[in-house]
Amino acid sequence: MYRYDAFDAEMLQDRTAEFTDQVRRRVAGDMTEDQFKPLRLMNGLYMQLHAYMLRVAIPYGTLSGAQLRRLGHVARTWDRGFGHFTTRTNIQLNWIKLKDAPAILESMAEVGLHAIQTSGNCIRNITADPYAGANAEEVDDPRVWVEAMRQWSTFHPEFSYLPRKFKIAIGAAPNDRTAARIYDIGMKMRRARDGKLGFEVMVGGGLGRTPYLGPTIREFLPAEHLLSYMTAIMRVYNRHGRRDNIHKARIKILVASLGAEEFARQVETEWEALDKAAIDVPEAEIARIRASFASPAFKTLPAINDAVEALKAASRPFAQFVKHNVLAHKVPGYVIVNVSLKAPGEVPGDCTSDQMDAIADLAERYGFDETRVHFDQNLILPHVALEDLPAVYEGLRAIGLATPNIGLTSDIIACPGLDYCALANARAIPVAQEIATRFADMEVAEDIGELRIKISGCINACGHHHVGHIGILGVDKKGEEFYQVSLGGSGLEDARLGDIIGPAIAGPKVTDAIEALINTYKKERTTGERFVDTYRRVGLAPFKAAVYAEAH
Amino acid sequence: MTATVSLLKAVTGNRLADGEVVFWGEGGWRERFPDASLFADPADADAALDAAKADPTVIVDPYIIDVRLDGEFPVPTSFRERVRALGPTTHLDMGKQAEGGPILEAIAAASGAARSAGRSNLIKKR
Amino acid sequence: MPKLIKLIDGRPAWAEDPFLAVADEDAMPGQGGVILSLTRFQAEGEGLLAAGRAVGVRLEPSEAVEGLAYDLPRLAMVALAFPKFRDGRQYSQATLLRERLGYTGEIRAVGDVLREQANYMVRCGFDAFEFNDNTGPEELAYVTHRFRHVYQRAADDKTPIFVERMKGGADA
Repeated sequence: MYRYDAFDAEMLQDRTAEFTDQVRRRVAGDMTEDQFKPLRLMNGLYMQLHAYMLRVAIPYGTLSGAQLRRLGHVARTWDRGFGHFTTRTNIQLNWIKLKDAPAILESMAEVGLHAIQTSGNCIRNITADPYAGANAEEVDDPRVWVEAMRQWSTFHPEFSYLPRKFKIAIGAAPNDRTAARIYDIGMKMRRARDGKLGFEVMVGGGLGRTPYLGPTIREFLPAEHLLSYMTAIMRVYNRHGRRDNIHKARIKILVASLGAEEFARQVETEWEALDKAAIDVPEAEIARIRASFASPAFKTLPAINDAVEALKAASRPFAQFVKHNVLAHKVPGYVIVNVSLKAPGEVPGDCTSDQMDAIADLAERYGFDETRVHFDQNLILPHVALEDLPAVYEGLRAIGLATPNIGLTSDIIACPGLDYCALANARAIPVAQEIATRFADMEVAEDIGELRIKISGCINACGHHHVGHIGILGVDKKGEEFYQVSLGGSGLEDARLGDIIGPAIAGPKVTDAIEALINTYKKERTTGERFVDTYRRVGLAPFKAAVYAEAH
Repeated sequence: MTATVSLLKAVTGNRLADGEVVFWGEGGWRERFPDASLFADPADADAALDAAKADPTVIVDPYIIDVRLDGEFPVPTSFRERVRALGPTTHLDMGKQAEGGPILEAIAAASGAARSAGRSNLIKKR
Repeated sequence: MPKLIKLIDGRPAWAEDPFLAVADEDAMPGQGGVILSLTRFQAEGEGLLAAGRAVGVRLEPSEAVEGLAYDLPRLAMVALAFPKFRDGRQYSQATLLRERLGYTGEIRAVGDVLREQANYMVRCGFDAFEFNDNTGPEELAYVTHRFRHVYQRAADDKTPIFVERMKGGADA
């Protein structure tokens, strides 16, 4: 993986000094809160309900053992001993003091971690396919390009005061694992017939108040022009995106109002006028970055391991773990291990400092020192030798992280909601905990099969509710928590926005409503059909009838 | 069921240096809601808010909240403000709720009521 | 004390302002340099320039710099207004003035201009500032030098890290 060199390290040192000075000016009264707020946000510091929250960037979701361990240390030293992994593959600490921020930044910078541009109206931390470098389908390692973009977008003088926040994701496999169409810019790597690398560019997706799936504005952008083309998109947006209404300031509104074709035309015109050679990173630099993402030294191993097969036969929990959490690796004899942060009853995405330490140990010992964050708020050990799988399983089990529920009902995405977030209208975590607990039984969960439930505590949709197979949105009805349920959404290859089923449901009745939806699915499904496919086939009526039957 | 009357105001905000939820009370900012000054006259609350705003290096975005009496205990009217006064409902060992006491217990037991008017105005202003 | 800070060979210093900002409703002074809104420049600029007056134009963020392309060689300066410090359109406008329109004259930041954004302004080609806070030349020098490196090219002459790397610099 990419390790920060002396230049990157000096950038972090200088950044820490800058932010330390900005905090000093604010506390001394030399800046108003209004002037300071965008500065602290661009350093990932929010004022939440109970304290400051610090959002730490995890570029392309990739962490070394030392970095993960340092996050655990930061959480233990300056927070309450846990952190919350997010749908943007970052980590949030909930109990931060502003006066500690300089020390925290300094500590993190030692291992190449930072909070640069994790909030604010700038280009945010960029995400990539969580299985990059480990899956067989990808046409290239997208992290090479994301790292080039990370550098380009960091402290970009022209694009740090955009109309609104800006999120970019890059996938590299035909099977989209980045939710590219719900991003401001989503990209998918492709290889042209002549072998040249490039990107399909989608612009103007997003959730929130007005959800859109981003249209493709260019089928094939030659990879070497990535940064100049991004510059053109950003410039069109920076100049013409709306600034008069915060709810209409995202690029999706500009793209929708101009139309994808006209937006694309403006981008192309700007791009043609740019000095591309000055902006695009030279091949040598791409090669340098690429070398840092070279595959680890995989051994030649048999594709089937007898000890693993024997343990699968002997241990049902292990067999379930293999079935649901373990994926094929591009190299025979290796696997991708998903680490569920969704043990039923726990807070989705939360991880304690002790767990971070233990995962770091496992990554160092069995996983070529690499962990990933998945936007489903889980972690990944991307390169585990099959022969080490029993030991990794045992290690995860020992820290309560071997729940075999990836993709199942209890693998719920939930934002922090009103338990922490200053913007929330309702809680999200307790709703997730209750649903997950009700469907914790493995037999029940396996019978239901793949089901993606996503919960947001407000319309900003950090919990991606629009693209949940079942989406749940918290709303405030005269001081009571109510939840609007939608069905049929997806952010992946079968991207679609969910349909709202009807009036919002009172908090205490939500889990029953979810059960009614699931029972309807069981009644209506054909053999092997997923929940979302049954819904898309039979439509809203039976689901709606089941949920609202009691009420009438 | 105890009688519910909505008639009081309090002033709250988060402290600049550490983000702590604080309430305007006797002798300045206090960390516990039971120590908050309660104003029966909205004009007094406004005056306290003005005083709070004069202290921008101590407090961030102070605002007025509604407080009602549940029986003898004052309770923030909005759910959001009750969460602020207590701590996250998912971690009962964190935040101010860990200290306990009759007023905090009354807040934890309270339900219903409207959103924080003060906060809504603050959001609209932006 | 003068309000204007200019970069002279990259070094900030207080400067006397040879221009008077003339609002649309104000009477035109009989002599001296003036800064006019785009509307007023379009109405009266020709006459003033013919009379040999130094004329600058103040652009709001919504007024595209491309509209000045023809007049740029005749302008004494361009002022780009920040109605709010968070409005980032003028960073693109300054960049275009420098890089696309080849403008080498003064680009002045006016309006809600604050210290913590000044480095980005300099990188985008601004070289004169009317600060709306207590920033002086020393503070401006400080904020524009606190980063040893930059990651990307902009309208200034800083060498991006990817070029520095190829030269084998830094104490790696």
